[in-house]
Amino acid sequence: MTEPGLLGGRVAVVTGASRGIGRATALALARAGADVVLHYRRDETSAREVAREIRAGGREAELVGSDVRSRHAMRELVRHARGWKGRLDIAVANAGIAEPGTLSAVDRDSWTRTLETNLVGPFELAQAAEVALRQSGGTFIATASTSGLIPSTQEIPYNAAKAGLVMLTRCLALAMAPQVRVNAVAPGWVATDMTRAEQADPESYRRIRSATPLGRWGRPEDIASAIVFLASDMARFVTGQVLVVDGGQSLHWRVDDPVQT
Amino acid sequence: METRVTVFSLKGRVGLVTGASRGIGRAVATELATAGARLALHARTLRPEFRDFARSLGPSPDSVQVFGGDLADPKAVHRLVRGVRRWSPRLDFVVANAGVFAGTPSTEVAESEWDTMLGVNLRGTFRTVRGVLPLLEGSRAPSVVLVSSILASRASPGGVAYQASKAAVEQMGRVLALEFAPRVRVNTVAPGFIRTDINRASHEDPVSRQHVEQATPLRRWGEPADIAPAVRFLLSDEASWITGAVLLVDGGLGLE
Repeated sequence: MTEPGLLGGRVAVVTGASRGIGRATALALARAGADVVLHYRRDETSAREVAREIRAGGREAELVGSDVRSRHAMRELVRHARGWKGRLDIAVANAGIAEPGTLSAVDRDSWTRTLETNLVGPFELAQAAEVALRQSGGTFIATASTSGLIPSTQEIPYNAAKAGLVMLTRCLALAMAPQVRVNAVAPGWVATDMTRAEQADPESYRRIRSATPLGRWGRPEDIASAIVFLASDMARFVTGQVLVVDGGQSLHWRVDDPVQT
Repeated sequence: METRVTVFSLKGRVGLVTGASRGIGRAVATELATAGARLALHARTLRPEFRDFARSLGPSPDSVQVFGGDLADPKAVHRLVRGVRRWSPRLDFVVANAGVFAGTPSTEVAESEWDTMLGVNLRGTFRTVRGVLPLLEGSRAPSVVLVSSILASRASPGGVAYQASKAAVEQMGRVLALEFAPRVRVNTVAPGFIRTDINRASHEDPVSRQHVEQATPLRRWGEPADIAPAVRFLLSDEASWITGAVLLVDGGLGLE
């Protein structure tokens, strides 16, 4: 079915859009017809490249560099989208960080950074976008993780923050209903910069692949497609859900802690 | 990058939808036909109205075929699989949607109700999926979608056999996802309160209709057409890294 209108005329913001899942999501939303505000923190060069690719495909893109931990920055991000197109339909809280953090070795700053970026940041974006999304009958989507559903010993703050993001998604779905649908995707092991160490280590790479029932690592596009579905009218009766996109990894218990740091 | 792209397409795919004469199954058949699939449609009884519906979906008489039979009967499932194989030796997907409902309080529930609920909803679903498995072997990207219910994960008084059968369907989906990986993906869609014949009494009664509307964060009953696109998504290549997932499509009802 040719659907130039799946997301035609919609305006999206994607945080952490310069690389990885955020980049693939921005590109997929644009391919489905949306114009996209690309948020990035540091990597302006990569973000520009994403914008160039979106424009080459006939959609429009804007760049905003800031830190998702800042309430002011998230308000400015939403203001930018509304000033640009007069509306905001899709907000994707994707930016996130992962740092090693074991019981014996995790410092307080790492906890703060991880919680503020992965959990408080999405909340700030939701709060900033609420009015605009209610007006447009829009949708909010968070990039959670199977790490929010399954424990580990290696990245404890990351697991805790993503579990918090899962619950935040459900709370926001209630708080923003009935005008705004709120959902999350929970990716498993996806080949991005965030998992560079595991990809680079042949043993980890193989272990993760063989522990994945579908037999391969995830691609950023796998997650982006799920986000496009959730953002579209195809998911018009879906809210408060966490869609697991993990090749079946979380069905059993063979993929824990592939890297002993 | 193209601006006009085919998304969530099932063009060239061949699939089976059980319980396709009414409600969610019918909406799923319509959606999948729109997405480009050729369809084998099953209903318990082959009524003229069902044949008319099937004919209305296809660009050609060849693109949709109807099959009948009670999936609680293993022989009927064998006949269904044989018939489908004659029509198309290759299947790309199956949507195991056929189900029955009864809401009897546990103090009054009869043995026969357990037999019917488990026989159709659980064992009928299993038989169907295992029966067509050899046909899925020929597919480039085979995929299965099971249909459970919000009553698989949220409880409601009455209908213990129905609710237990649907909870079992969700776990069956996870087990099959592991067993059939990496070739065949298996996912489950769990509908909330949807306006179908199964719960006509509820949505036609003003008090219980309003009760569901108030309890649902999106403030309305679901329609069969709300469920169908979720099935389409899970069957599509865009979902090629999703297996063993349960997607609740309930307007947020399960949150409260």
